[in-house]
Amino acid sequence: MESRDQLDQVTPPRGYGQVPHRSTTCRDLRSAAEVASLDMAPTADAPSAAVISLSPLEPFKPDLYERAWASTPHPRLPLLATAHAKSVTVFSLTNFSAHSTLTGGHTRSVRSVAWRPATPPNSLSLVTASFDSTAGLWRWEGSANEHEVKSTTRDSHNHHGDDTSDEDASDWEFTLVLEGHDSEIKSVAFSPSGQFLATCSRDKSIWIWEDVGATEADDEWETVTVLKEHDGDVKAVAWCPDTNRKEPKGQYSSDCLASASYDNTVRIWREDRDGDWVCVAVLEGHDGTVWGLQWEPKPEQGRYPRLMTFSADATIRVWTMQDDELDQQGQRTPRHAPGSQFMSGFGGIPNTMRASIKEEWHCSAVLPKVHTQQIYAVSWSEMTGLVASTSSDGIIAVYREENVQAPEGEAEAAIELDGDVAPPDNHSPTPIAKTWKVVGLVNNAHGPYEVNHVIWCKRFDAGVAKKGEEEMLVSTGDDGVVRPWQISSPSSSQTSSS
Amino acid sequence: MADIQNANPTILNASQLPTRHLKQVAVRFGPEAKYSRLVFNRNGPWSENMSGDSSEDSDTDELACEPIDEQEIYDLISPISDPEHPVSLGQLSVVNLPDIHIEPPPSSGMSDPNKLVQVIVDVTPTINHCSLATVIGLGVRVRLEQALPPNYRVHVRMKDGTHAQDDQVSKQLADKERVCAALENETLKATLNKMLETCA
Repeated sequence: MESRDQLDQVTPPRGYGQVPHRSTTCRDLRSAAEVASLDMAPTADAPSAAVISLSPLEPFKPDLYERAWASTPHPRLPLLATAHAKSVTVFSLTNFSAHSTLTGGHTRSVRSVAWRPATPPNSLSLVTASFDSTAGLWRWEGSANEHEVKSTTRDSHNHHGDDTSDEDASDWEFTLVLEGHDSEIKSVAFSPSGQFLATCSRDKSIWIWEDVGATEADDEWETVTVLKEHDGDVKAVAWCPDTNRKEPKGQYSSDCLASASYDNTVRIWREDRDGDWVCVAVLEGHDGTVWGLQWEPKPEQGRYPRLMTFSADATIRVWTMQDDELDQQGQRTPRHAPGSQFMSGFGGIPNTMRASIKEEWHCSAVLPKVHTQQIYAVSWSEMTGLVASTSSDGIIAVYREENVQAPEGEAEAAIELDGDVAPPDNHSPTPIAKTWKVVGLVNNAHGPYEVNHVIWCKRFDAGVAKKGEEEMLVSTGDDGVVRPWQISSPSSSQTSSS
Repeated sequence: MADIQNANPTILNASQLPTRHLKQVAVRFGPEAKYSRLVFNRNGPWSENMSGDSSEDSDTDELACEPIDEQEIYDLISPISDPEHPVSLGQLSVVNLPDIHIEPPPSSGMSDPNKLVQVIVDVTPTINHCSLATVIGLGVRVRLEQALPPNYRVHVRMKDGTHAQDDQVSKQLADKERVCAALENETLKATLNKMLETCA
C-alpha cells in the first residue's frame, strides 16, 4: 500500500533508523543539516511552518543498553546526568562520552536527577529521585582537572543496575539520604536559590526540604512541610524561575512551586508569611495524567512566568496567571482583590483554619496537536523561547510562539532577522495576539522505541564555534540511547555557507 | 492464596479455545534483539549501501514481513496462568479472541518496522470485584511487551462494565512508570513469574 516514496515524504528528516548507528567518521554537520532541511520541504502532511530541522548527531557513549528515563544538563558546566536503572551516568557535553557514574546508592530505579544550583567551582552536587522511596544527595569533590573525561571501559552488557561497581564510581560520594516518602519518588527539584528542595511521590505527597547546613559543604536538610492535597501520584514538581517573580509582597514569599499529578490536575504552592505552604491554585483541564510541567524561562517584561503542562491526554497546555493579564484598557487587575476583603474578616483565626488566598490561573493556549500518544516530556528554551516535546509515539516536535496580528511583511522580517531566536522582549505594554506553531518534527527519533525525555542543552562540543552559545536537543529513550540533535534553520545554514 | 475470591469459575476445555487451523510460526523480536533488527532491517542503515538488490530484499522479507495478527496475540497471552486457579486465562475466558484489536489491522500488510502498531487487549476479570484484575492485566502487558517487537504499543484495559473500578485499573496499566515500579516489587514479580511460567 505505502510506497517508500510516500514514507519518506511524511518522515521529514531521516530518523534514527536510517542513520548508521556507530559510524566511525565524523559527519559534516552543516551538510547533514542541509540534507535534513531539504527533506523538510513542505508536503501535505508536514507542518506548513516547518522552518527548523533536527539532524541526529552521534549518540552519547557508551550506549546504556537499558531504559533511560531522563537527562539533565548542569546549569553551568558541560555535563549531562542521565538516570537509568539504579544508577546515573554523567556524560561530558564536550566530547559526548561518559564522565562518571553514580552507582550503589539506590536499591530500585533512579527516575530523575537534579543538579544543585550554586555550588562552588570545584565541586559538583546532585540529588537522585528513586523508586526505592528515597532521594539521595551526592557530591563530587574533584581536583583541578575534575572535568576531564575519563575513558570508561566497563562492559555495559553486564550492567543491569547491580550494585557491583562501587570502586569504579570514582569520586562521587553518596552523602545524604532523604527518607520519608512511602513509595516511589518520581521527581526532585531545587528552588532557584538552592534553599529548598522538593520531592514528590506515588504516595500522593510533596515534601519540601530546607538546607539548614551551616556552610555549603554541610549537608543538613530539614523537612519543612508535607503537602498532601493531590488525589493521585505526584508525577513532577518544578519551581518557578526567579525571573520576573513577584517581590515578596503581601501574603506570600517569592518562591513558588508547581506540581503535576496522576489525578489530572496541576497545583500551585506558595509559602505564606507564617512559613506555611499552601495551595493557591488548582489547574484543571487535562483529561489524563499530567506527566510534568515547565515554567517559562524568560517571560516578557513585567509578566509573571507562564506554566506549560503536558499529559497522557496527548496535549500541551499553557497557563497564565490572571493577575498578569492586562484588560482592554491596559490596566492591571488588582491582585488578590476579592481575597483581601476576605482576609480582614478572618484575621483572628489561626492559619490552619484560614481560607488561603487563591490565585486565578487560566489555560491561555493549547499547543498544536502533533502527538497521538502520552506526552512524556516538554522543554522550553531560555535561549530561544522554542518548545520541544516528545512522546510514547516516538516523535520529537518543536514549536514556536508567533505573533498573529502583525502585518505579514513585518512578521517575515522578524523571522529573517532573528533566525530561530524568539522575538525580543516586548517593551510596549500593548498585548499582541500570539499563537503556537509547529516548526520542526522528527518521526521515530529513537527508531521504534518510546522516547522518555527531551531537553534543550547548551553545546560545548567541537561542532560549534562559540561554546555555550548554541543549543541542541538531547533525547533519552527506552533503547538506552541518549542522542543529541543539531538544530538548524534554512536561513542560518545559508548564512554560514556564503 | 488463603482467600480465594472466585471459588467456582467457568473453565473451558482446551479444545474449545480459538486456534488457527494451519499454525504458522512467526519470527518475533523482543527488545533485546535490537542490533539484529538493525542488521536485518530492510530499511536499516546497511540496506542503503546495497541499493537496488531485489534478491536480498526478498530474503529479509521473510524475516521482517510476517504481520502479527490477533490470533497470534491470543496465543501469546492465553496460556498465562490465573493467579488464583491452576488454569489459563484463555480457559477462564479472561482473555478472548474477539477482544483483541490491532491498529493498523494486520491484513493491511507489514510496513516499516518503525511504524507504530497499537495492540488493544480488553480483559474480562472472572468476577466483578476481583482485586487481582490489576495483576492479571499486568501479566498480559508484561507478556506482550516481552514478546512483541518494540514498535508495538500494548494497551491493556478492563472490558467495559466487567470490573467495579474499570477505569482505575486501566489507567494504572497504561502508566509506564507504575508498571516499571511494579516490576521492581519482589512479591509482585514472583507472582508474575509464576503466572508466566506456563507460557511457551
